[in-house]
Amino acid sequence: MTKTPNWTEADRLKALRATGILDTDREQAFDDIVELAASLCDVPVAVVNLIDAERQWFKAEVGLGVRETPLETSFCRHALLESDRLVVPDAREDARFACNPLVTAEGGFRFYAGVLLRGENGAPLGTLCVLDVVPRPEGLTPLQSRALEVMASQVMTLLDLRRGLARERASNARFDALADSMPQMVWSTRADGFHDYFNARWHEFTGTTPGSTDGAGWNDLFHPEDRERAWSVWRHSLATGDPYEIEYRLRRHDGLYRWTLGRATAVRDDEGEIVRWFGTCTDIDDLKQIERGKELVSQELSHRIKNIFAVVSALVALSARQHPEAKAFSQSLRTRINALARAHEFVRPHTEISAPSVGAMTLHAFLEAMFRPYAGVQGAPRVLLSGDDAVFDDQAATSVALLFHEMATNAAKYGALSEPDGWVTLETRKADDRFILVWREHGGPRVTGQPTRVGFGTTLSTLSVEGQLGGRLERLWLEGGLVVKADLPATALSRRRAALKTA
Amino acid sequence: MSARILIIEDEALVAMELKFALLDLGYQVVGLAADAPTALDLVRESEVDLALVDIHLSDGPTGIELGRALGQERGITVLFMTANPGMVRDGVAGAVGVLPKPTDDYAIQSAVDYALRRRNGEPTLYAPPELQVFN
Repeated sequence: MTKTPNWTEADRLKALRATGILDTDREQAFDDIVELAASLCDVPVAVVNLIDAERQWFKAEVGLGVRETPLETSFCRHALLESDRLVVPDAREDARFACNPLVTAEGGFRFYAGVLLRGENGAPLGTLCVLDVVPRPEGLTPLQSRALEVMASQVMTLLDLRRGLARERASNARFDALADSMPQMVWSTRADGFHDYFNARWHEFTGTTPGSTDGAGWNDLFHPEDRERAWSVWRHSLATGDPYEIEYRLRRHDGLYRWTLGRATAVRDDEGEIVRWFGTCTDIDDLKQIERGKELVSQELSHRIKNIFAVVSALVALSARQHPEAKAFSQSLRTRINALARAHEFVRPHTEISAPSVGAMTLHAFLEAMFRPYAGVQGAPRVLLSGDDAVFDDQAATSVALLFHEMATNAAKYGALSEPDGWVTLETRKADDRFILVWREHGGPRVTGQPTRVGFGTTLSTLSVEGQLGGRLERLWLEGGLVVKADLPATALSRRRAALKTA
Repeated sequence: MSARILIIEDEALVAMELKFALLDLGYQVVGLAADAPTALDLVRESEVDLALVDIHLSDGPTGIELGRALGQERGITVLFMTANPGMVRDGVAGAVGVLPKPTDDYAIQSAVDYALRRRNGEPTLYAPPELQVFN
C-alpha cells in the first residue's frame, strides 16, 4: 500500500520551514478554507495541519480550539505516507488508529479524510483534513473529495503567495539597507517620472524630510539656472528610455550649491516596458574645482608662452634700433619669430576656452591663419589649401612654421604673391606611410631658372624638412611658377604621438 | 594733428617697441600703462584718440572691462592686442576688434589706420586681414 517516498524527512522539514508559516497568527484566507471544508463535508472539525518534527501545528482550524497537538496521536502523520489522501471511514475499525486516545475517548474521532499539502519537491508538508465523531462508512462524495483537493491546492498557493510577499519585503529591506549605506544619493521614480524614493543620503545632504521631495519637489533643490535644463533632459529620458545624465548644481542643507552628477537608468519588465527608474547623484563639486584650476593653469601657460615670443620679438626690434644697418635683418628675424609663435598657438595644451578662435588645432587651420596676411582685396585668400588635414605637435611646429613662412615670404618678394593676380595652391595628402605637401605658384612673374644663390631662408626650410622632419624637399623652377614638394614620413608631424602608440 | 595713442600693456619691452613703432609711423604716444588704474588716470589727464589694450595686465585680466569702459564711456577707439584673441571671441562692446600678439609693424600700421579712419567717419574698404573686427 505504501510506496517508497522520494523525499527524506529532512527534505520535508526543510521545505516546511521554508514556508515560514509555522507559529504565525490565524489568517482570514486560511480560516475561510477550513470553514468551507467543514460545511461542505458536513463535519464539525476541519484543519489546515502542518506536520512538524515533534508536533502538528494548525494554521487554521474549526472545532478543535487548539493550535497544536503532539505527533503521537496524529492521524495526519499516517496520511503523509499515502500518495495523495487518506480516508478512514471508522477509526475504531482501523488497526492504525484503534488504540489512538483521540479515537478511544468518549466522543472521540471516528471519521477522517485528509488531502496532502505537497510542496515544490513533492514532499508533503501536512494536510487539509476533516474529522467527525461519527463514522462515515460511505466516505466522502466525489464532490466533497474534489472540493478538498481544490482547497488543499489553494492552501499551497496561499503559502507560496505569502512567501513571495515575504521575500519581496526582505528584498526591499535589503535594498533600503544598501541604498542608505551608500555614499551616493540614490533615488527612484515610477515609470511616469514621479519620484517616490530617496535614500538617507539625499535627505541628509539636502536637509529635507522624507516625503517632502516626492513627486516633482526635487526640482526646487536645483539651482534656478539649471532647473529648465534638468527638466528637459529628464523629460527626454522618460519619453525615450535613454539613460539620464546631467551635471547641475544641487542645494545643500546649508544653502550652498554644489555641482552634482545625476544619472539614471530605466528598469524594464519582460515585455521591455519601463517600470521604474533608478538614479544616483554624485557630488562632483571638487572635481569641477580641479577642472577650473586646470583651465586657469592652461590659460596662464598659454599666455606666458605667447608672451615670451612677443617679448623676444620686441627685444629684437629694440636692439635693432641701435643698429640701423641691422634693420632688414631684424625685420626678417621678427617675421620668423612671429611665424613660430603662430604655429605654437596651434599645438600648446588647450582647453575649450583657451583654444584658438579659428577652431581645430590642425595643419590646415594653422596654415590658413599663417597665410591670412597675404590675403587679397576684401580678404580673399591667395594661398588655396586642399587635401588631407593633419595634426602636428610641438616637435614639428618649428619646422612647419619656418618652411611655410619662407615659402610665403619668398613668394611675396619674388614669386606669385608679389603680383596682385598671383596665387598659390597648397595641396597636402596622405599616401600610405608618407605625407606629401605640394606648393604650386601661379600667375607670378615668369620663372627663368634656378636662382644662383641659395638664400638663408631656403637653407632654413631644407634644414627643417630634411633634418628635423626627416623628409625630402624638392624645388622645381617651372616656367609657370615655382613648385615645392615636401615628402615627409606620415609620423613626422606627430612624432610624439607615434612614439606613444608604439610604446 | 596726428592721433593720440595710449598703450596699455604690462610687458615693458613690448610696450616700448610698440611706442617706437607708432612714433615712426607719425602718431603721438600719450603714455604707457601697465594696469587699469594707471590707464584710467592717464585718460583723465590727457586727450586720447585710440587705445591699444592688452587683456592680461599687471593687475590681472582687467583689459577687457577696461577696453569696454574706454570705448563706451570715454569715446576712445579701442583695439585689443593680445596673445589670446579667443578670450574676446564674442566681441567686446565699445571696441573695434582684436590683433593677435606677436604681430608685425605692417599689421599694426594697417589696423591703427583702419581704426582711425572709422573713428573719423572716413570710408574704409575692408579691414586688414590680421585684425579680427567685432560686429
